[in-house]
Amino acid sequence: MIEINGVSKSYNRATVKAVDNVSLTVNNGEIFGFLGPNGAGKTTLIKMITGILNADAGSIRINGYNISEDPISAKMQFGFVPDDPNIFARLSGIEYLNFIADIYQVPGSQRGSRIKQLLQRFDMLNAAGDRIQSYSHGMKQKIVVIGALLHDPPVWILDEPMTGLDPRSSFDLKEMMREHADAGKTVFFSTHVLDVAEKVCDRLAIINKGKVIFCGSMQEIRAHARENESLENLFLELTEDA
Amino acid sequence: MHRFGALLKILLINYFGISVRQLRDPVNRKEYLKKLGLGLIIVVALAPTIVLYTNILIKGYEVLAPLGQAGAILTLGMVLVSALVFFFGVFYVVSLFYFAADAESLLALPLRAWQVLGARFCLLLCYEYLTALPFLLPPLIVYGVKSGAGLSYWLMALLGFLVIPVLPLSLAAIPTTIVMRFANLSRRKDMFKIVGSIFVIALVIAYQFFFQNAAPQNMDPEFLQRLFTQRNGLMDQLSGVFPSTRYLGLALVDAGKLIGLLNLAIFMLVSFLGLILAWFVGEKFYYQGLMGSSETSARRKVLSHKDYQKLTNPSSALFAYMLKEIRLLLRTPTYFMNSVMTNLLAPLLILLPFYLQSRRGITMPWSNLMNTPQGQSTLLVAVVAIILFITGSNAMTATAISREGKEFYISRFIPLSYKQQISAKILSAYIFGVIGALMMIVASRILFPQSVLFMVLLLGVSLVAIIPILEAGLLIDILRPKLEWENEQQAFKQNLNVLFSLLFALIIAGVIVYMVITFFHSLLWAALFMLTFFTVLAALLYYLLMNWGITLYQELES
Repeated sequence: MIEINGVSKSYNRATVKAVDNVSLTVNNGEIFGFLGPNGAGKTTLIKMITGILNADAGSIRINGYNISEDPISAKMQFGFVPDDPNIFARLSGIEYLNFIADIYQVPGSQRGSRIKQLLQRFDMLNAAGDRIQSYSHGMKQKIVVIGALLHDPPVWILDEPMTGLDPRSSFDLKEMMREHADAGKTVFFSTHVLDVAEKVCDRLAIINKGKVIFCGSMQEIRAHARENESLENLFLELTEDA
Repeated sequence: MHRFGALLKILLINYFGISVRQLRDPVNRKEYLKKLGLGLIIVVALAPTIVLYTNILIKGYEVLAPLGQAGAILTLGMVLVSALVFFFGVFYVVSLFYFAADAESLLALPLRAWQVLGARFCLLLCYEYLTALPFLLPPLIVYGVKSGAGLSYWLMALLGFLVIPVLPLSLAAIPTTIVMRFANLSRRKDMFKIVGSIFVIALVIAYQFFFQNAAPQNMDPEFLQRLFTQRNGLMDQLSGVFPSTRYLGLALVDAGKLIGLLNLAIFMLVSFLGLILAWFVGEKFYYQGLMGSSETSARRKVLSHKDYQKLTNPSSALFAYMLKEIRLLLRTPTYFMNSVMTNLLAPLLILLPFYLQSRRGITMPWSNLMNTPQGQSTLLVAVVAIILFITGSNAMTATAISREGKEFYISRFIPLSYKQQISAKILSAYIFGVIGALMMIVASRILFPQSVLFMVLLLGVSLVAIIPILEAGLLIDILRPKLEWENEQQAFKQNLNVLFSLLFALIIAGVIVYMVITFFHSLLWAALFMLTFFTVLAALLYYLLMNWGITLYQELES
């Protein structure tokens, strides 16, 4: 469960508000989509949830742990996939995964089989021994996704996870997200593609210019968009993006 | 030629960040003023060392002039500069010619190899002038002023200053270009580049070793007499390592005479020949060495069950983070060359000239001193000071955060406390620091055979002494990390933290050298003082790092 309460973040000495007083609750057992055009504030909010950025105001709790007050416990709760897979290019895939497993204290008894199983699922078995610098963008994305799922975190936080994935892996990831949510756990992911959100999410929020302008199920959004012009315009924009 | 000029101009603007047109913009001007201010601070901080160096040269001149050996101070400066230019040259050539981010993109432009290489060579010369300035200017001025030299001396000195880095830089470029050509054939290019660079340096050291061995071995009285009675005989001896400096030295000593001009001509000719050779080699090998040098190959082989068992062994989070730091330092050629190699090779290169001289039987002025208690405490503090210098200049912790660059976000989201991350960074650098210190200790043991007690004390003090330098480096990097960079070069080469870390080490070295020479004239007292000093300093910096440092680290945002 993720609880976001009145969170704000400004850049350039408070002249640009990237995230403006956002409050959201992502419940257990749901896939929550975070939708918005490029530059709307999605990544900034995700960076605050994961502790990469400090919020100017408000609080964020992950499974009850406050990210700024009890960062280590909060960080143990989630697995994170960033929008740009910049990872240690001079480590091999397996070295990177073992590093992540050590950091998240994945028990030695399950480690090898879990790594193998995930590598197999993402068709990365034959690349695990090679340096990450030899990977294509999609392969880097896959190894980051595997790293994020390695410690079987209750909360998944994924920033544009489908970007760069081939259709097969993208399908697999969506299936895994569904399984995870059905097991009573939480998936929070951002996308700027409405089509993806529509197919996968139980609920979603739309963010624009730093503010959440709507939060609810897909049907609710559609109904609401007919009455609200600005939401309708944004909705059209997102549909065009797809 | 036009293209060569255009390329050089762009490179100068890019690397030195100076362009007249940009200077007209007030925003840029403020940035430049900031840089200028920083530069001034550095000059002021270095001033005491330069004053000390100048004083030594003045004393040296006064002692040597009556013997007709005053030219030796010129040669000393020139040999020192040539050695430095060569040593840094190998690193610069590798990093600037091959690892720079723009290196490969220039391949697509309609430029000849010599144009690209020439422009980069000129850029390097500019860097080398900056290196040479503090070492060469004082002896040139001291000799000129003291000997009341005329205009011809000063003109020759200026010309000499401009030309002197050409030969050592060419000598650094030639083997490097050839080795890189063949390193590029290999599948593991990163590793080969590193091994190649080490090979070049080893080659040159070996050359010097044999070259020096060819000189008279025994220190018979006749040789000694010749050394000091022959005019400028000492100069000849010193210039053995870089023979061309001998001619420039002779030219300066006899400036205004025909023989002086002749010597200058020989010096210029030798430098020019070196340049021509470098040009020839460059035109032939450079592009082939560069093409595809950043490509990586992969085996795409499924790992065996045994591999998995070996590669997925659990360890503590702290150890895992430390191991990651070490692996990246060893595997990234830029980091390896700048940090690890400096650490390993500097002791060798600092002591090699002394060692070679002592092999040739030249008695060093400190030989007799060494057996007195004060001599031993001085030697102890001198070796410790060099270790501090090496630890400060390898900048392993002073770039520890900067090196993360775009990957910095990983340190922010992983569930590893900042305290542990900081500890892991210090510990991994400490391992390399200890190796560097051990190298230095072994090297000094070979050169100055000392008692077991001396060696134990030296080891004890050194192991503590490097800690505050590493802590201060990390604190500097937390204060002003350079996280925005496109290629790994910038994390090091265009990062002032490296310089600040070195300055800190130099200041601390200055303090202990002054304290020991002034107050602690016995080996034991000197060691005890240093141990206490470094322990207190390390504890103080640890406290700062773990409190103030962690607060700052928490606020860092990529």
